[in-house]
Amino acid sequence: MDDIDAMFSDMLQEMDLLTQSLGEEAESAPLPKPSTIPGPQEMNFSVGFTDFNASLHNLEDNDLDALMADLVADISATEEKFATEKDTSKGSAPVAPIPSQPQSNFSLPASNDTSRHATFSNSIAAPPPPPASKPSKDELEEQVKADKIKLALEKLKEAKVKKLVVKVEITDGSSKTLMVDERQTVRDVIDNLFEKTHCDCNVDWSVCETNPDLQTERGFEDHENIVEPLSTWTRDTENKVIFQEKKDKYEVFRNPQNFYMWKKEKQSLKDMKEKDKEQLLEENFCGASVIVPDLEGVLYLKEDGKKSWKQRYFLLRASGLYYSPKGKTKASRDLVCLVQFDNVNVYYCKEYRIKYKAPTDHCFILKHPQIQKESQYIKFLCCDDEWIMTLWVTGIRIAKYGKQLYDNHKAAVRKAAGSATWANRTIQASSSPSTPSPTPKAKAANGHAPQPAVETKGSSNQTSFPPPPPSMETLPPPPPDPMLPPPPPAPPSTTKVNKFPPPPQFPQSSFPPPPMDDLPPPPPPPPEDSELPPDFLPPPPPFFSSCGGEALPPPPPDPMASLPPPPPAPQNFASSGGAPPPPPPPPPPPAPAPAANKPAGSIRKVAPPPPKRTTPQLAAPSGGNLMSELMTAMQKKRTQ
Amino acid sequence: MASWDLSVSVEELGPDAPPLKISVTSELHIGGVILKVVEKSQIKQDWSDHALWWEQKQQWLLKPSWTLDKCGIHADARLCLTPQHKPLRLLLPSGNTLRLKACFSSPVFRCVTGLCKLLNIRHPEELSLLWPVEKKKKKKEKDVEEELYDITRAPLSSSVIPKLASGMPAFFAETPETEAVYKMLAVSQPAPAPETIAKLYRSTTITEKAHINSRWLDSSRSLLQQGVKENDKLLLRYKYYTFHDITPQTDAVRLTQLYEQARWAILLEEIECTEEEMMVFAALQYHIGKVSLTEQFMASCPAMDDLDSALQCLEVKMEGESSADDMLETMTAPELHDYLKIFRPKRLTLKGYKQYWFTFKDTTISYFKSKEESCKEPIQQMNLKGCEVAPDVSVAGQKFCIRLLIPGPEGMNEVYLRCEHEQQYSRWMAACRLASKGKTLADSSFSSEVQSIQSFLAMQKTTPSTNTAQTDESINTHSLVSPRYQKKYKPKQLTPRILEAYQNVAQLSLTDAIQKFLQIWQALPDFGLSYVVVRFKGCRKDEVLGIANNRLIRIDLSVGDVVKTWRYNTMRQWNVNWDIKQVAIEFDGNVNIAFSCVTADCKIVHEYIGGYIFMSTRSREQSNTLNEELFHKLTGGHEAL
Repeated sequence: MDDIDAMFSDMLQEMDLLTQSLGEEAESAPLPKPSTIPGPQEMNFSVGFTDFNASLHNLEDNDLDALMADLVADISATEEKFATEKDTSKGSAPVAPIPSQPQSNFSLPASNDTSRHATFSNSIAAPPPPPASKPSKDELEEQVKADKIKLALEKLKEAKVKKLVVKVEITDGSSKTLMVDERQTVRDVIDNLFEKTHCDCNVDWSVCETNPDLQTERGFEDHENIVEPLSTWTRDTENKVIFQEKKDKYEVFRNPQNFYMWKKEKQSLKDMKEKDKEQLLEENFCGASVIVPDLEGVLYLKEDGKKSWKQRYFLLRASGLYYSPKGKTKASRDLVCLVQFDNVNVYYCKEYRIKYKAPTDHCFILKHPQIQKESQYIKFLCCDDEWIMTLWVTGIRIAKYGKQLYDNHKAAVRKAAGSATWANRTIQASSSPSTPSPTPKAKAANGHAPQPAVETKGSSNQTSFPPPPPSMETLPPPPPDPMLPPPPPAPPSTTKVNKFPPPPQFPQSSFPPPPMDDLPPPPPPPPEDSELPPDFLPPPPPFFSSCGGEALPPPPPDPMASLPPPPPAPQNFASSGGAPPPPPPPPPPPAPAPAANKPAGSIRKVAPPPPKRTTPQLAAPSGGNLMSELMTAMQKKRTQ
Repeated sequence: MASWDLSVSVEELGPDAPPLKISVTSELHIGGVILKVVEKSQIKQDWSDHALWWEQKQQWLLKPSWTLDKCGIHADARLCLTPQHKPLRLLLPSGNTLRLKACFSSPVFRCVTGLCKLLNIRHPEELSLLWPVEKKKKKKEKDVEEELYDITRAPLSSSVIPKLASGMPAFFAETPETEAVYKMLAVSQPAPAPETIAKLYRSTTITEKAHINSRWLDSSRSLLQQGVKENDKLLLRYKYYTFHDITPQTDAVRLTQLYEQARWAILLEEIECTEEEMMVFAALQYHIGKVSLTEQFMASCPAMDDLDSALQCLEVKMEGESSADDMLETMTAPELHDYLKIFRPKRLTLKGYKQYWFTFKDTTISYFKSKEESCKEPIQQMNLKGCEVAPDVSVAGQKFCIRLLIPGPEGMNEVYLRCEHEQQYSRWMAACRLASKGKTLADSSFSSEVQSIQSFLAMQKTTPSTNTAQTDESINTHSLVSPRYQKKYKPKQLTPRILEAYQNVAQLSLTDAIQKFLQIWQALPDFGLSYVVVRFKGCRKDEVLGIANNRLIRIDLSVGDVVKTWRYNTMRQWNVNWDIKQVAIEFDGNVNIAFSCVTADCKIVHEYIGGYIFMSTRSREQSNTLNEELFHKLTGGHEAL
């Protein structure tokens, strides 16, 4: 137990440190969902700090609350994951989902103590310690202790997961805001966006980054972790994330002959039989090593640091991009390596004729992803026409990613065909409920430890927080959100945020669960929550789109019909900063359900869509305790 | 029925003994003839492997029930009773010579199948035999009798070969000598001395490469029919560059020999690669050589594999259980600190290196004015994640620098760190390398990274006496590259370049490293092309036909450019006119080509094309059954019909 105590105190200390660092950027926190207001506003941006700690810098107290809530949610997710570790090949998913929803609520500038309370209470209520009571042997205790340690460690780990809030622009002019964590792949994000938009979900949809400084655009590959490239953006970046169809993304798999037999006239390749195409793919992608198209030809190269573009004869090989120096043959031994692909990505460029006096506008560059501005370390290349550029860029992608690209495509096709995913998710969801039980005792232990730590820090007295158990159900989602606030860094975004009417957002986030009840179809979303972190707002998607920009009002009504709480809840949130009392109202409606469920966790899960929300909560209990301790600590501090 | 005398020589009687005369009738069948000869020879031994060879006709009489009449044998025939299996010296891809008994009476295809069975190489259809290059004997070449591995006592390949659990044929386990042979087969050979490479090396034009392919034996005829004598030397090589279903657990010998063939192809520039690729190949060779010394062929033993994986499992479990402690310890995560010197060439100053107090934590280097100020704000912090790390080292000059290219929004920042001595350097270097990959000092590979850096430094220390082949610590880097680069770079220039490539492969296991080598080899643009000089119908000049597993290419001999590509899947049919030695091929869309072969027999071209078609018919399901009949049908030519 001492260990655990120590650990917790450590953790608390960390939290303290974090809070200390919160001072400065107080207001930047919220990332409003632009979508609510369809207006003309420009949506820039979105990504925040490079790392979590950094992002914490700018938080204020209320943000801190949000953060706490988020942590709570995270922990619950972690626990789930912990418990269901075996079947969690999709591990990344569990954590993220929950937080996202809450995010919107908390991110708002208004302080929402009430909401926080609610979350706490939830966690407390949830803990019903089933396992602890059962057998009370030494061994068991040992076991429990070990479990606790593990759990605590998991939590610590989780807490370290980097998350970003990303605003994704969509080609129709709207945009969506998502929270992503560092374990999510681009594929997860795309799937998430599929749910939030009414696109046709074909394989060409890509998430792209643009860089206005360099006038570049690159589609992320489906297997990439999206947080990594985004976190290398500078704070004042004008870069954007765009969700759009990119024909060239998987063109090579639709018409491999155009790439692998590029020397032949395109016309003659037009009618190639599907069977032959398949064989071509098989030969080039399914062998012991992936074969890179044997591209060669004259391209223009902008010499390092110079303004002129020189023609060179380039050849693509699996090991890199080469050119043959003047007066030499094309023999391999004479080739000069321009660049190898390990550390660079390839980007399409726009309007380089003007910007860099390129011979044509069909340019691409190769650069380290972290480089954001013009630099001698960027390789500038220019092609005669667009098709040649597509050939080279695709060739380079094949050389860089190899079979991964092929696998991505297969997965994308499967997704596009739509199907199995839902089933899987639901299954997982059901499995998760049992997790919470193992850690009942831990809670108690936690409780002791944290307090002392807090006190040492100098925070004032502990105050007990209102433990309204029922409220939990309704509120659970919000806690996770807090994490998101950090991203706000981008100053422009913040201002915009302010402009946005916060209330509408709230309703959306808080409501998502209710709508689910109303709508039978949603069932899939719930499972997602539990399983896949990527989908932060599974339930909302439908709403989002439907409610869309202006239709905010509609969502509330829906929930209302099914669940009384919805209407009041939003209000509470909105007012949360000011009026704590409101919180109670929302809880009541949800409360009944949870109470019933709690006795038998499994039963709950069985319940229709709405339960999903609950599942995370259930899982949370153990985490909740720990977190609650933290919360109390925070509270003390505040009161002081 | 008139009887007449048939003269049959028997090898066992000695070379000078006169042929035995036996009285036969035309109705006597071959079996009867053998019986009579054996009786007359009065030698008691096991004759079961013997058969009659008809010298004038250069053919075996292998059907015991056929009568002399049916065979067309008359009194003037000179027959010879001789064993079907004779010793042969087989030059393996690794360069080792193996003496073993091969079947001289069956078609080469089946002979190779037998050899491969003996050597435990699956998919023998991918290999074949070819004549060695005739050596012009200048002066009196000291016939340095090469090291010979003799397994002529192994059971004949026609019999069933029992295997041990490890996949090793049982007879290899009989004596220590035979076990050594198997080890030779299954473990890659140490790097050759640079002169060995230089001696074997010849500048290879495409025409010369084409000549290599004229030396393949005919798969549909027997060794004796093709003039191979007892104890002759033949090369065993992979002929068809499509390697079916490689499974490292059971393919130890196959994989090793394939690696050896690929390695020599690289070293002798039989296949061209760029300098960058050569450095990667060199690094992999170095790594494979090093790991082979330790892993030996334990890895090839499935039982050991199981044990390994079990151990690993256990390790993981332990890790899982101890993770609590580990995590707690991360509070005191390992760090490095030292006084180092830093230099940023970017600033246009001649100040050179300045000394600071450096600490390395997680993936970040921070430096301070002095140790005492290390609790204050660092002068600068550099996160190395995603950076490029290169050594700038001279052991002789006692210069131990690390060159870092750290990416930032504005570009790459170049930084040099100078360490005092080797120990310090290898620790910091290892930390930088790990950090560039996003790993921290706490990563388990840290110590092995340090070691590999040190062992690589050792390469620079030992003044490379050119003769040294690879021993466990030192290696002459010239042994790892082709003579072109031996001339271009000194060993100490090569070392850092190979080291650079090495950092990406240093953590690979033996089989992974071998497979990586093969992968990169197979990704080379010219991989898998077998060349033949041909003359297309209606053309006046020679051109080169390149034959690959999926296509034929036509290459302009003077420029070396690919003129045209035809893929097999558009091929309707191909014919060989054996009289005028012309191959004619028809492709979809009424494309017809015809050519005569200049450097190789058209049977060889025919066999290549048919062989590749055959290879493509292999399916994963029946990966171990060999359809010999189909092979001969596709490759046999007129003899098969």
